[in-house]
Amino acid sequence: MIYFDNSATTVCLPEAAEAARRYMTEEYFNPAAAYAPAVRLERDISQARSAIASKLGASAQELVFTSGGTESNNTALIGSLSAMRGKGRVVISATEHPSVYETAMELRERDWDVQIAPVDETGRVRLDGLAALLTKDTRLVSCMHVNNESGAVNDVPAIHALVRRSCPEALLHVDGVQAFMREDPVPCDLYSVSGHKVHAPKGVGALYIRKGVRVKPYLIGGGQESGMRSGTTNAPAIMGFAAAVGGLDAHRAEYAEAVFAVKKRLFENLSRIRDVRLNGPEIGSGAAHILNMSFMGVRGEVLLNALSERGLLVSTGSACAAHKRGKNRILNAMGITGDRQDGAIRFSFSHFNTKAEADEAAALIEEQVTLLRRFRRR
Amino acid sequence: MEKVLLVRYTEIHLKGLNRPYFERALVDNMKRALRGLEPRIEREHGRIYVRNIREADFAEAQERLTRVFGIHSLSPAAAVDKDWETVVSAARELMERRLEGVTGEVTFKVLARRSDKHYFMNSDEINRELGGRMLELFPQLKVDVHSPEIKLSVEIRDMAYVYCEEIPGVNGMPVGTAGKASLLISGGIDSPVAGYMMAKRGLTLSAVHFYSYPYTSERARDKVVELTRLVTKYAGEIRLFLVPFTEIQMTIYEKCPEKETTVLMRRLMMRIAQTIAEREGAQALITGESLGQVASQTLEALACTNDAVTMPVFRPLIGFDKDEIMDVARRIGTYETSILPYEDCCTVFVPKHPVTKPKLAELRASEAAVDWSEMIAKAIENTELMVIK
Repeated sequence: MIYFDNSATTVCLPEAAEAARRYMTEEYFNPAAAYAPAVRLERDISQARSAIASKLGASAQELVFTSGGTESNNTALIGSLSAMRGKGRVVISATEHPSVYETAMELRERDWDVQIAPVDETGRVRLDGLAALLTKDTRLVSCMHVNNESGAVNDVPAIHALVRRSCPEALLHVDGVQAFMREDPVPCDLYSVSGHKVHAPKGVGALYIRKGVRVKPYLIGGGQESGMRSGTTNAPAIMGFAAAVGGLDAHRAEYAEAVFAVKKRLFENLSRIRDVRLNGPEIGSGAAHILNMSFMGVRGEVLLNALSERGLLVSTGSACAAHKRGKNRILNAMGITGDRQDGAIRFSFSHFNTKAEADEAAALIEEQVTLLRRFRRR
Repeated sequence: MEKVLLVRYTEIHLKGLNRPYFERALVDNMKRALRGLEPRIEREHGRIYVRNIREADFAEAQERLTRVFGIHSLSPAAAVDKDWETVVSAARELMERRLEGVTGEVTFKVLARRSDKHYFMNSDEINRELGGRMLELFPQLKVDVHSPEIKLSVEIRDMAYVYCEEIPGVNGMPVGTAGKASLLISGGIDSPVAGYMMAKRGLTLSAVHFYSYPYTSERARDKVVELTRLVTKYAGEIRLFLVPFTEIQMTIYEKCPEKETTVLMRRLMMRIAQTIAEREGAQALITGESLGQVASQTLEALACTNDAVTMPVFRPLIGFDKDEIMDVARRIGTYETSILPYEDCCTVFVPKHPVTKPKLAELRASEAAVDWSEMIAKAIENTELMVIK
């Protein structure tokens, strides 16, 4: 089996799985309990928090553990706006993940003035388009760091500067789920990350809340996470998360290079097939782990099914998005429509992938694309 | 006091000497629908009584029976001793519950029936007497014999049955009394509705589904299994045949004129379905076709499809608009599953401009250019059977 769907989720690193196992079967205490073993566990959690925060260039106090990317994004938007007085404008980019986009649509129902910033044909937010939407009453801007379908990397430092200049009161939230541990930290007020996209167990994520930014808790109860996120601390997943981050960090440069080498190899191989288009940024300028290409005249879902039967696992877009034809919101925003949208396949890699896999995958794809094109609709 | 479900049935009345046969089939189907609830079902004088249902299961039993074809309506009733005061107190209890939270005037009438002709009052007397007692007990009641809001019914039989609620059933004929037919099920909105409608006329169903492995996904297949399961809630057990169709489809696209592919594909599907149906002892095919809905459902195309088989083909939706079909699908609970967006074998390979007025002679000629027998035999041999209950 060749797994090229690492943007959907990643395999858990052995050390992360082992950490999770240990904190389920040995150090299984509730860190909020009063006895000594629980206190030790609380210290471990706090170390994990520091370690993960440091990868974001943040302090431990600025990091809240959540159940994952969706909760982090929901909390960032609804929690920060709930802490503000009055209503105003909210600007999000056109290619946000559903957990931001749908939350914004919900905010619109609640009478927030929600505006969508356009992206260019490679999937990057257009700074001029964004600037035009930033008004004095803008309260929040949400813009993802790396797009999960196109691999486009937004210029967050420039966006940050723009927001500070045009509407100094506004907060900048960045969905960093695809960027964490892959891209360098960026200036912002809120930053969402998810564990299972970086080889940690599922069910854990974090939200960075810059010191001084007010966020109203989303889950209310026993006051865990300094009152920011009630609910029994998910110690096994958090410890697994920290172990995964540690494991990746030790080889970060080496892994990044390996991942990009696989992407480049696959891209070069696939470019030899006729009528293939690259969706998203030029090969060297996007995220190293995401490649999106269209096979003209072939339907993505049909190709995906055929490849899956031969052991190559890929995606036609975000696993969270609807599979309706012509309804890919991200590709539509990039101006990729019709046959090109129908034929789009997203490949996403991890350091476990190899160039040999890229060769094997390309051969499979070429074979299937050629076969399916014989039955192509004229 | 015992709580029973009193079941009235439909057209079975009309069936003369066959009536016991239809009644037995209905009782069997009710037993199957109530599986796990340990009911005792008794048949008596044009009525069916369901007894022994636990209080906690009562609502569930009612709901399941509203999906059994042949049932006109059902009433949850109190079965009590015929002693007059006992009857009155059962009626009072029912009325109390019925009027709970209701303010203002409510109209009612008493509807008595008496098969025990030795009872000390006749029906009219019961009506008057019980009506009077109710008026005394519940000042908010007012008699209206023409269109009352509450019909308080009393039936004096072996016991006295008292009820004031009538829940409509789905009508139709008991499944299994009209023979057996095979449904061509796709994964869309129409075919499950077509199956439902023919089961309603008493047919036992089997189903045939064509899939294009590996170009259609496991999810598309699960969807068809789920749709079939939803239809079994009405139709009872369905034997579902899953036919691998990729080889035939690819051959059609390679060897036959592109614009004819859809109709040719349907002809071959019908032929395979007929073979499977014959083996199953089914005597007809059922499709969800609706006249003019798509290119393969024009009169010309339907005629060409029909030409491939000798069995009668039932198309219960032929005169339905899409909206009407969708309404039924929503009502019977298949709609939400039908609209799940997966590619199925009919969408994987589709011509952009299919012929809408195919000529039978031309189609026959295109089809005759290829020897299909081996491919058909192979598809049937590799067909998988799932028994959906």
